[in-house]
Amino acid sequence: MSRIPVGRATAVAAVTMVATLVAACGGGGGGAGDDGKIKLTIGVFSDFGYAGLIKEYQQAHPTIEIEQRTVKMEQHHTQLATQLAGGRGAADIVAIEEGAIAQFRQSKDKFVNLADHGAKELEGQWAPWKWNQGTTDDGDFVLGLGTDMGSLALCYRRDLFQAAGLPTEREEVGKLWPTWEDYLKVADTFTAATPDKKFVDTAQNVYKAILDQTEEGYFAKADDSFIGDRNTKVEEAFELAATLGEKKQTGALASFSQDWNVALKQASFATTTCPAWALALIKAGAGDEAAGKWDVAAAPGGGGNWGGSFLAVPKQGEHTEEAYELAKWLTAPEQQKRIFKETGNLPSEPAAYQDPEVTATKNEYFNSAPVGEIFGNSAESLQPTYRGTKDSVVTPVFNNALSRVESGKQSTAEAFAQAVREARDAIK
Amino acid sequence: MTVAPERTGAGRGAGPVPPPAGRPSWRDRLGRWDTRYTPYLVVAPFFLVFGVFGLYPLLYTAWVSLHDWQLIDGDQGFTGLANYTELLADENFWNALGNTLSLFLLSTIPQLLAALGLAALLDRGLRGRAFWRAGVLLPNVISVAAVALVFAQLFGRDFGIVNHLLGVVGIDPVDWRAETWASHLAISSMVMWRWTGYNALIFLAAMQSVPKDMYESAMLDGASRWRVFWSITVPSIRPTILFTVIVSTIGGMQLFVEPQLFDPGGTATGTGGDDRQFQTLVMYLYEKGFRLFDAGYSSAIAWVLFLLVLVVALVNFAVARRIASKG
Amino acid sequence: MAVVAPGETTREASREAPRRAPGKGSGRAPRGASRFSVAHAGPLSYALLVVVLLASVFPLYYSFLIASKDNSALGDAVPSLVPGGNLVENLTRVFDTVDFWLAMQNSLVVAGTVAISNVVLGTLAGFAFARLRFRGRNSLFLVVVGTSMVPTQLGVIPLYMLMSDLDWYGTLQAVVVPALIGAFSVFWMRQACEESVPYELVEAARVDGCNVLRTFWHVAFPAVRPQAAVMGMFTFMTAWNDFFWPLIVLDPNDSPTVQVALSTLASGYYTDYSLMLSGASLAVLPVVAIFVLLARQIVGGIMQGAVKG
Repeated sequence: MSRIPVGRATAVAAVTMVATLVAACGGGGGGAGDDGKIKLTIGVFSDFGYAGLIKEYQQAHPTIEIEQRTVKMEQHHTQLATQLAGGRGAADIVAIEEGAIAQFRQSKDKFVNLADHGAKELEGQWAPWKWNQGTTDDGDFVLGLGTDMGSLALCYRRDLFQAAGLPTEREEVGKLWPTWEDYLKVADTFTAATPDKKFVDTAQNVYKAILDQTEEGYFAKADDSFIGDRNTKVEEAFELAATLGEKKQTGALASFSQDWNVALKQASFATTTCPAWALALIKAGAGDEAAGKWDVAAAPGGGGNWGGSFLAVPKQGEHTEEAYELAKWLTAPEQQKRIFKETGNLPSEPAAYQDPEVTATKNEYFNSAPVGEIFGNSAESLQPTYRGTKDSVVTPVFNNALSRVESGKQSTAEAFAQAVREARDAIK
Repeated sequence: MTVAPERTGAGRGAGPVPPPAGRPSWRDRLGRWDTRYTPYLVVAPFFLVFGVFGLYPLLYTAWVSLHDWQLIDGDQGFTGLANYTELLADENFWNALGNTLSLFLLSTIPQLLAALGLAALLDRGLRGRAFWRAGVLLPNVISVAAVALVFAQLFGRDFGIVNHLLGVVGIDPVDWRAETWASHLAISSMVMWRWTGYNALIFLAAMQSVPKDMYESAMLDGASRWRVFWSITVPSIRPTILFTVIVSTIGGMQLFVEPQLFDPGGTATGTGGDDRQFQTLVMYLYEKGFRLFDAGYSSAIAWVLFLLVLVVALVNFAVARRIASKG
Repeated sequence: MAVVAPGETTREASREAPRRAPGKGSGRAPRGASRFSVAHAGPLSYALLVVVLLASVFPLYYSFLIASKDNSALGDAVPSLVPGGNLVENLTRVFDTVDFWLAMQNSLVVAGTVAISNVVLGTLAGFAFARLRFRGRNSLFLVVVGTSMVPTQLGVIPLYMLMSDLDWYGTLQAVVVPALIGAFSVFWMRQACEESVPYELVEAARVDGCNVLRTFWHVAFPAVRPQAAVMGMFTFMTAWNDFFWPLIVLDPNDSPTVQVALSTLASGYYTDYSLMLSGASLAVLPVVAIFVLLARQIVGGIMQGAVKG
């Protein structure tokens, strides 16, 4: 750790001196419990639905005290990076989102290899792709245990479809678009009928959905090298999505932004890609008066995954064994099922998402769509795309390019060329 | 900014009372010790705090910038000035520098002019002057984060109030985040809103110390109020104006929170618009260091930024000094 | 402040304000101008001021407005400027989501300690730079000015490592100690001493046998109290509003400040603006309260150099 130990030591000494200038300025530090209990912290973002489970675990394990820290997702990952760099301060269990895990996989030596605690025995619990995303070194190093997943569907507004003369029943709607090319055709029909409404919120999400259905995206599965410039799937996906943008069929909205919320409320777009966890967002944005107007259909091109997280155990923690036990319990099928019922986070384990209780779940707000079944099916047919270590570096570059097409600044070809150039620069 | 010239008088370090001949008493020795060393003692806390929490990180950053240094994994090997040479060839760096300067000019010049006008207004015989003065200072007490949140709403593309008002007077809605000039304007307005009143009060204070006989003779000569303002008031407070320029430079070059939160991507993916059209230097530093974990490169940006601020401030300082000594 | 606390602090830190034209030499207080006004204000002046005041208050009102509504009300095409009826509900949700009282308490401790320490240490150092003679005074002061040019985001990682070594992660002193004394305070108080503490008085006190600290306490400090109050207020606000560094180094459950608690409010998948701005309005209240109570003194303090004849 100490790279320039002398400087650090001097600094520490000096600080201690300064500290004596102020008398006690309160503040409760973390560390061991006061009453001999083992104190575990768990750092998450958004809503993992753990509050009730934690209480239950504490009751079953009287020597353990658990504290949950919740911050915004991006903050959570930045903080985690800082804490890993500083060698201190990270929670005993940390959540890592699917989009970020490749980046943290690089720093695996800062994490406990859960295989050392016997995690490999659990492998069968998860959908194989989910398990693989959490491991590295050909499966020898288990970095994280899967929590939820974000299997993909497509949400659409029934009243807008009706106004455009399109079918409104979810099975028929799903049949409208077996492929993304078909989806674009529906967009044209829609726009021709109701030109003042947008067909979809943003080209970026369409692009992500298409790309996530391919086996490889920007990086080669074999050696993690950048192939975004020659992988035709990338260009095809980009062109499909950008076409919507060029035709002004998108709302050019940043997903989940305030403008997006407003557009939802104003019913100014008719479809949006929706992973399981997005249902809550749509409901919150569209408000009660839109109850029953949104519905959920199968996504074009088959299933896909978007989001979902893992629980990992940083090495710097004092109680890694106990932390692992807790993480194991929280990610077990029984708990995942309960979380689904409480928050709608979709389980990533077949035993949970194929459970009749889960598949029978309907979402009243979305015209009583059988979300358990729709998302479960989508998960079954899922072929996860390979995420390179630098995926999160390259992704925003292509998203920005789509946004430039949407706002009319560039043509599809120009935007793509610039994105490829920038991506090459960015991963140097 | 100029440091007061030392007065002549009692010699350096000598006590005011000449020590009596012979063996000095403990009191005298204590007195001499007191005069000589107490000044150092009382300025020491600043240097101690700065040394540990300012200088040490600064030097450490310099060290980091000479390495391939990953945020989490640390040192990956010494690379000399590689980060710096790469930076100088980096389009995004120059883009960020341009944006920083543009935002700085856009927010500072109108801001200082508005502050001057506001100060002149407040300098009139007003009823309830404390009320007005406190009122203009109010924006300064709100946290930047809250300000950014509110302004992001006001400048919404589809349903923001600003576009709504523009619509009332028949102007087409503006996509405040997509266009370069529009985004710069919106961000500058945020900065202006926060700081104009504050600067106005500083100008006001300076204006009030302009000797009144100067005004009286001008008034007797029949000069208009406008002329009096530009030919007497403004020149008299020139050093203060220059000082605020320097201070705004230092602040403006480090602009971060306002534009970062103006991007709908926020601190997660925000790169200052889809073409980095409003990405500032500190935003770029943040992107490289905390989003892409390239601590070495990020540190190099930090140091270049530091040197830039230093140069700009020194130039301002020199100009200010020259003008002040002329005046 | 200038030096360390990253984030928004930078701007405040660099706003070192001379209340009088710098470079006019030392000591001499300006004469004559105090209560004189060039002209009396006409209706147009008042109209302009009202416009300025409205512009100052509007964003504040807007955040209160959103705080009083349901989150989905934000989607209305034409935003209404009439408050909604959800304020109490939103505030209740704030207190349910985070421990806002603890956060307020922590912020008070942090901002209060920082303000008091800056007043004491800043006035002392400012007094020394303005009225004491010692070798290297001018160059040392230049260093003080120079330190405000250090971009503050720059040192976050080494600073964090330092805090780790000290075992200060998640403790309030990690936020307090780096901010104990800033260039802003030293600069401001030096300026204040130059204006309000006559050399002659200092000399006289010395002749009477006062040592440096007694001279400071009995002669200098009383003379600059108003300016010190203003400076304390500014450092209080800066510390209160700082969030970049506290977010990194504090534990959101154990040791949140108000700004850290606010970020917890925004932790969901989607941003609940009414919840957040309810929290933000709440966070602003103490500062505005202090501000309103002290407005006359604060504004007076800014004017001190001018008003003193």
